[in-house]
Amino acid sequence: MNKRFFIIAVIAAMLSPLSVYAQAPRANGADTAGTKNYTPPRTPWGEPDLQGTFSNRTITPFERPANVAGREFFTQEEVAALEKRAQEQSGDEGRTKGTRGDVERAYNDFWWDRGTKVTTPRTSLVIEPADGKVPELTEEAKKRAADEGKRPAFRGAGANGRGTDTWLDRSTFERCITRGMPGAMSPTAYNNNYRITQGPGYVAIQIEMLGGTRVIPTDGRSHINSSIRQWMGHSVAKWEGDTLVVDTTNFTDKILYRGAAENLHLVERFTRVGPGQIDYRVTVIDPTTFTKQWTLAIPYVDTGEDMFEYACHEGNYGMEGILSGAREEERAAAGKGK
Amino acid sequence: MRLQRVLITTCAALLLIGTAVSAHHSFAAEFDSNKPIQLKGTVTRVEWINPHTWIHMAVKDADGKTEEWMIEGGTPNTLLRRGLTKTSLPEGTEIVVDGYRAKNGSNRANGRDVTFPDGRKLFMGSSGTGAPRDGRDASEK
Repeated sequence: MNKRFFIIAVIAAMLSPLSVYAQAPRANGADTAGTKNYTPPRTPWGEPDLQGTFSNRTITPFERPANVAGREFFTQEEVAALEKRAQEQSGDEGRTKGTRGDVERAYNDFWWDRGTKVTTPRTSLVIEPADGKVPELTEEAKKRAADEGKRPAFRGAGANGRGTDTWLDRSTFERCITRGMPGAMSPTAYNNNYRITQGPGYVAIQIEMLGGTRVIPTDGRSHINSSIRQWMGHSVAKWEGDTLVVDTTNFTDKILYRGAAENLHLVERFTRVGPGQIDYRVTVIDPTTFTKQWTLAIPYVDTGEDMFEYACHEGNYGMEGILSGAREEERAAAGKGK
Repeated sequence: MRLQRVLITTCAALLLIGTAVSAHHSFAAEFDSNKPIQLKGTVTRVEWINPHTWIHMAVKDADGKTEEWMIEGGTPNTLLRRGLTKTSLPEGTEIVVDGYRAKNGSNRANGRDVTFPDGRKLFMGSSGTGAPRDGRDASEK
C-alpha cells in the first residue's frame, strides 16, 4: 500500500472518532457544570438519579484552537457568533460540486444532527492538561503508529478505512462493530443519544450510535481477569457523593483510540448538575501512548426524546458498495492500460 | 477585529473536524465525485433502516424504458425525531435527486439533494424541529 496514503488514513482514524460538530436541543450556552446548591434527585433505593435520555452534540471545539490559547472560555459574543456561523455552514455554502469533500458530506443537512449550539462556553472539550490539547504521543506510540500497516486489520474507529482490498481495511465503525471507548461516549454527526437507566447495584447506558448497552455494576466488585479483553473494555463503578465514577480497563488490542489500545485505562465521572444536564468527564490514562493523562468534559443534555433502534447490518449496503466500487475502478484502470 | 479573527480560525477548525467525520461509512469511497447524476422519477419504496435510509425510485430513460435506482440517505432516527415517518414518503411521489453515482456502476447514488419537481425540499415541515436550513427550499429565500 502507498505509505503516504496509509499515514493519512491512520491520522484520520485517530482524529475522526472525536469529531465535534453538533447541536444541543435545550442548551442555552450556559455552562451548568458549575451549578451550585443543586441536589440531584434520589432513586427509591437512595442513589443519585442519573436516569434520562441525553444528547452530547456540541460545537465546542475538541481541542483549544490556537487563536484562543491561554483562554478557558469564549465570550458570550463569540458563542453567539460561533452558533450563527455553524447554522450558516449547515447549508450548501462551502460545498463545491464534483469534489471528494462534497461526496463525503453525503446528503442534505436535513439528515444530519451535528448541531449548531455551543453546549459549554469552554474553548475546548479537553480540560486537562490546562492548554486544552491532547498531550503528545510517547515515542513508543509513534513507533506503533508507523508499524500499523503491518497489522492484518485496520484498527481505526472513524468513518474511513486504510484501503479497499478487504473489509479488514475498513474501520470498526464502518464494519458495524463499535466506535470504541471513549469514542462511543463522544459526539459525532448524528445519533448522539444515550439513555441511562439504573437498578440497585447497576447503571446501564444505552448508546444509540451503532447500538449496544454498557451494563456497569456498582456493587464493589473487581475487574475481570486481565486475560479477558473486550471491545468496550470492562467497567466497574462506585458512587462518590453525587458522582458516578466508572473505571474501565481490559480493552482489546483490535481497536485504537488516538493511538491507544489494550493499555487504555479510563475513569469516567457522571454528575447530574441540574434537572436537564449531566456533566460527563472522562480521563484517559495510558503511559504507553500519551506523555500525560488527559481529560475531556462533555455536557450530556436531557432531550426528553425517545431512543431508536440502530440495526447496523440490516440493509447496510455501504461495505459492499465500497469494496465493489474499488474492484470496478481497478478493472477500469486495467482496461485503460491495455 | 479580534472577534472576527477568533471566529474565522475556530470555524475553520470546526469545519475541518466536521468534514473529517461524515457518515457512518465513507461516502467518497462508495460514490464517485466525477460522476454527478440527476435522476427524476417516482418513489417505489423506502428502506427505513439504520444507518442509512434507501429510497428506491423508478426512472424513465430517454427511450421511455424504466430503470430502478436506489438513493442513499441519512439515518432514519434523525427524521423520526423531526416528526417524519415511513408514511411521509409514499409510493408514487415524484422526486428529483442530485447526487453522485456509485463507483461500482450499479444503479445507486447518494441523495445529495432530494427535492420535489418544483424545487421544494423533500422533507418539509422541518421548521421548529431544529433542522438546519440549507437554502435549497424556495421558502427559505
